[in-house]
Order: sequence, then C-alpha cells, then structure tokens
Amino acid sequence: MLEYAYLIPLVPAICFVIVGLFGKKTPEGGGYIAILGSIISCILSIAVSYEYLTGKLYSTGRSFEMSVEWLTVAGFKINFGIYVDILSCAMMFFASLISMLIFIYSLGYMKGEGERKRRYYAEVSLFLTGMLGLVVSSNFLEMFIFWEIMGLCSYLLIGFWSFDNPDAQQKSSAAKKAFLVTRLGDVCLMGGLFILLYVFHTLDYTAIFGRRFFSDSIFYLGKMSINHYLLFIALFLILGGAVGKSAQFPLHDWLPDAMAGPTTVSALIHAATMVKAGVYLLARTSPLFIICHRGNMALIIVAGIGAITAFFAATMALNNMNIKKVLAYSTLSQLGYMFLGLGTGSFLIWYGFYTISFGVLGLGAIVYFAAVFHMFNHAFFKALLFLGSGSVIHSCGTEDMRLMGGLVKKMRTTAVTMLVGALSISGFPLLSGFWSKDMILEAALVTGEYLYYVFTIFYILGMAAAFMTAFYMFRMWFMTFSGEPRENAQHCHGESPSVMTFPLYILAAFAMFSGVVVIYALDSVWQTWFGTNDILEIVLTSKWTPISVMVALVGIFVADLMYRMRVVNPGWFNRNGKGIIYRILADRYHIPQLYDYISWKIGYGVACIVDYFDRNVVDGVVNGLSNVVIGNADVAKKMETGYVRDYTLLVAVGVFVLVLTLFAVVKGVI
Amino acid sequence: MIPMSLLLTFSALLFCIGLYGIITTEKGLVALMCIELMLNSANINFVTFSAYGPWSNGSDMVGQAFVIFSIAIAAAEVAVGIAIMLSAYKISGTNNTLELSTMRW
Repeated sequence: MLEYAYLIPLVPAICFVIVGLFGKKTPEGGGYIAILGSIISCILSIAVSYEYLTGKLYSTGRSFEMSVEWLTVAGFKINFGIYVDILSCAMMFFASLISMLIFIYSLGYMKGEGERKRRYYAEVSLFLTGMLGLVVSSNFLEMFIFWEIMGLCSYLLIGFWSFDNPDAQQKSSAAKKAFLVTRLGDVCLMGGLFILLYVFHTLDYTAIFGRRFFSDSIFYLGKMSINHYLLFIALFLILGGAVGKSAQFPLHDWLPDAMAGPTTVSALIHAATMVKAGVYLLARTSPLFIICHRGNMALIIVAGIGAITAFFAATMALNNMNIKKVLAYSTLSQLGYMFLGLGTGSFLIWYGFYTISFGVLGLGAIVYFAAVFHMFNHAFFKALLFLGSGSVIHSCGTEDMRLMGGLVKKMRTTAVTMLVGALSISGFPLLSGFWSKDMILEAALVTGEYLYYVFTIFYILGMAAAFMTAFYMFRMWFMTFSGEPRENAQHCHGESPSVMTFPLYILAAFAMFSGVVVIYALDSVWQTWFGTNDILEIVLTSKWTPISVMVALVGIFVADLMYRMRVVNPGWFNRNGKGIIYRILADRYHIPQLYDYISWKIGYGVACIVDYFDRNVVDGVVNGLSNVVIGNADVAKKMETGYVRDYTLLVAVGVFVLVLTLFAVVKGVI
Repeated sequence: MIPMSLLLTFSALLFCIGLYGIITTEKGLVALMCIELMLNSANINFVTFSAYGPWSNGSDMVGQAFVIFSIAIAAAEVAVGIAIMLSAYKISGTNNTLELSTMRW
C-alpha cells in the first residue's frame, strides 16, 4: 500500500484535468468529480498512514522512501518520488479529510455560482494536489514545485470573485497581495534551497536526514562535515519562505485580505492547505536548524516570530467586526503558536544535542510534537469555525457581525458546532486545542526559566494571546448567535442545507476528541521511546496547567460580560471607536500602509533603476549595435553608383586580381 | 605562319580596347559595341588555341565549333541589349549610361 502513496496527490490532479475540461457537462460543474477525487485521496491517505504506522518501518523509526531519477544536472542528481513518515502521515490525513469535507460543503455554499462552479472545483482540486504533493514529496525541489502550485491556486481562488462583483477591484488586489507577499517568501526559500543543494550536493530527504527520522537524523547529520556558515544562511532563507507562506509577522498582512475569496476557500487555505505548508517546511527542516552550530539563534528567532505574531494578530482580532477577519486573525495567532512550539522544541533539542543531555532532548522532541499536534488540531477546529461562519454568511448574506445576533434559535446546528470550535481554540480543558496549546506554552515557560530568559517573554506574549483568543472567539460567538436579532439576522434563511451541516458535525467531533485520541494513542509510543516522559502526566499534572485554563475561562467570562450579559459596555473601553488603541488596531498597526510605503519607495525606486538600466544599458547596447551597422551600411552603399562603367571597372579589376593570384599560386610565389 | 603570341596579343589588345571603351563611354550603344569587341577577342583566343594547341594532328576543331556557338549567342545578346537600350530610351529619353542610374543606392 505504501508504494501507492503517489496516487494521493495524483488523483486530485486527474480530477483537476477532468473538471477543467469537461466540468460544464457534468452536474454541479464537476463538483461530484472533485468530491470523489478527494474521497479517494482521503481513503488512500488513511490506508497509507495506517499501513505505515502499524508497519515495521515505523516501529523501527524509519521512513518510507521511493523515488525515480528525474534529471541530472552538473553532477547534481534530482529525484522525483514519495516520502512517508509520521509528519507527512499526519499532514496528509488532515489535509485530505478536511478538503473532502470542504468540497462536500461547497455543494451547498457555491450552489448559486452557476457557470463558474467548474472553475472553482477545478482550482480547489489543484489546490489539494499541491498540498498533498507537498507532504509526500521526497525532496526539497519536488516540494517546492507543489509549494508553487499552491501559491498559484491561492491567487486564483482568493480572486475568485474578481469578476462581476461590486468589490471586484478590492478582491483582485487582495489576490495580488497574497500572491506577491508569498512570492517574497518563495524567493527566499528558493535561495535557501540553492544553498542547501550546494552544501549537501543533494536535495533528497533521505540523503540529507538519513533514513531514520528525527532524533536519529540529528545524530546522522551531526556526523556530517558541512559548511555551517552557509547552512545558517540557508536556514534563514528557508525561514523566510515559511514566514511568507504561513503569514507570520512581517509578511502576515496578506492573510486577512485573503478573506476576499469564498469562505470555503478561506477554510481550505487556513485549515487544510497553504498556511500549513510553512509550518510543515519548518517541521521538516528542523533537524537542520538543530545541527547548525549557530542554529539556536535562528530557532530563537523562529520562536520570537511565532510569539509576536500570536500576540499582535490576537490584538487585531479584538475589535474587528467582520466574522471572517476575526477568524483570519485567529489563524495568524494560532500559526504563531505553532512557530513558537517548533522554535522552542527545536531549541531544546539543539541544547540537548550540544550539551549531550538526553532529558532536554526528549523534552524538546515532545514540544516539537506538540507544535505539529497543534497544527493537526488547529486544522480541524479552524475548518469547523470557517465552515460555520460560512453557514452564517450564507444564511444572513453579510459578513458584518453587527448585523447578526440571535441566530442561535434559527441556526441551532451551526451555533452548537461553532461553540465547540470556539471552546476548542480557546483551550477549554479536554478539547483538542487545550492539549497542544498548553504544551507549547509550558515548554516556553520552562525553557525561559532554565535556559534562556527570552522564552519567558514569549510565554507571556503567548499567554496574553491565549486570553485574547478566548475573548475574541466568544465575542464573535455572542455577537453572532446570542442576544436580539439585528438587521440581517431578522430575515435570515434559517439553517443551512444538510450538505453543509454534515461536515460541521464531523469537524466538531474531531475538534472535541482529536486531542484526547492522539494523546492516548501516542502516549504509549512515547513511553517506549523516552521511558518516563509521559505526555499525559506532563500536561495534566503540571503546576502551570491551571493558569492556562484560568486564562481561557477568564477570557470567555469577559466576553460574556461584554457581549451577552451586556453589563460592561465595550464602547467604554474604546471611547466608542475613537480611542487611539482602537484605531491603531482597526488600521492593523498601519502595516498595510507600511507595505504600500515600502513597495512604493523601494519597489518603485528599484523599478526606476531597473528601468533606467534597461533603457540605457540594455537597449543602448542593442541600439548602438544596430546604429553601427546602419552607419556602415550608409557608407558602404555608396559603392552602388548605378554607373555601368564603375561596375565594369570593378569586375575587370576583380578578374585581374583573381588571375594574378592564380598565377602567383601556380608559380608558387605565395 | 603567324606566330601564336602575335594573335594572342592582338586578342588582348582588342579586349583592352573594349574594356576601355565600356569604362570611358557615355553612350549606351557604344558600350554594346565594346562588349562585342570583348566577345570577339575571346573568340579569337578560342580559334588561336584551337589552331596552335599541342594536338598531335595539328589542330582541334572543338574550339572553332565553340566560336560558332559564341557568335550565335552574341547575336542574340546584341538583340537583347539593343532592346534594353531602346526601351531605356523610351522610358527616360536618353541612352547616356551616366544618366541611366536609377538602380543605385
């Protein structure tokens, strides 16, 4: 079964072709074909994951790899193949499952799109291909190809409504922004991959990391003699790629704008694909960060970017009135947690590796696992929240939460499932978000306490973000579902069709139980690997756990006071939208203006210089050459006098010279 | 018997006169005549080599046969040349080769 893993990205790719070519002739614009493809991918992913996790490879800590030679250039051999380890298993499981549910949901949500459904289903199939191909690729170049496919699809889908729409201008510029900002990261990543190719002479995962995963691959890499300075630069560039794709702090601003696309696309980008690719890249390359001599610097920066993003994105969600934008900021914030977790975990492993202390190394491995685990959980509850908000938007016809309210009576299923999602993301005990977020934050605290004080700051930022997460999530829920129905809510269409609520139920089940199930399932595995390091024990018996639970509960309580019971007027804090902080948050810290400023000053400046160079140097060379030719021809053409006598003379002289030469040759003079 | 060198010198002189005429004349018809002179100098060469060649039986008729062809072709060529001159005269009203120079740069 494992050797059929290449079918996982191939099936949606075939669906893309079929839907793209024949979508108009099939019902729902090819929607059923796309769904069928995602179901096949999902079943294959589950089968491959099951076979891998129960097989001999996993129990001996090895990864599965199968590849064919693709091309050989200048002594560098590039392969094309599949690579399955526990990370790609987790990724392809949630990517294909959630995409499948989103595709099914799209049947209801995109019902009124008519002719353009074909384009939608073709593009989401290609999107899924990109993500699944990314996680099963066996080398960095192959991964980069799928990475770019996803970039293209995100552009196409975010700009899905850039035609025949009142906000067409704004929607198409959101698509362009997403494409260009992620492009910045992609260029960094490409540079990083070039350096990696130079350092390792290969881009194959198996050749770089060895055939065994993680802890072993660190020791495998540690024995290699490589240029650590170059590697350090490569790691920074790769980090740039991950930051761009996962929308972390300086490059985060495209994600809130990406809400211009259909809600299903937002769900796809935020939960199943796209932004998870950056985290995946960091998780995949973290052994390189760990073995690099100065890797701790890079890892602290990873954790710092994560903590800063978690905090600032959460603040921007506090006062946003757009239900989708709130969710977009929460995605940024949660991705920040993942970066924080990966940075902290890898930092611990780095420390453990260099001081040869296996306890720290094991703890780091658990934190690294927690970060990946958070990505896994986040996929489910964020897909749930987005699809729930899509259901609300579908029914109310607006994204503005001020026009909603009281929907709990009309949309019971959506309200309840979204409540589960909100509780889960807030870190309510025993729901999935609680496990992973708590582990990440505690790890930051412990690292800050014993190793490096900066992590304490990260912990505080993360804790503040956790409080704000609970607050804005319940603010969103209360504004949407509780209280008196306002404007649009009064004439909403009621509950969405069952094709849209069915995915909500499944996602709600995952949002509730995925944490417990994974923790239990992996507990025994980790126990055999690390002896006494019992995750359940670490999470549940830590003295810091009550704090995170309290923070979440207080956040929910404050939101309750302000938006359900209405004993505290939110306008009192922000002077009815005139407070400085309120306006800064509403303006997103003026970062969009900063983008514009930078691109106007630097981008336009560089463009001017390039333009000058092009006009004067490149064109100058070409024009100069042609002028020389023209000038010479102008002189030379004067030979064509048009007089018979001149031509005759020339011929005669030519013959004379020819005959002379012939004589000279025959006589042997020359 | 006339020595071969004398005949060849005569032929060369004839050629040079033709060439000189072409280069110096302004009259189109004179130029045509000069071409005839050059052609005939070539014919004389043919005949000379045919008669004085290192052949076992004293002479080879092939060269003289060529001359017959050459004269026939020259006649045709003159017909074409005069036709060109006539039509050039019709179009531009002159046969002066210095004025018939529209095909230059």
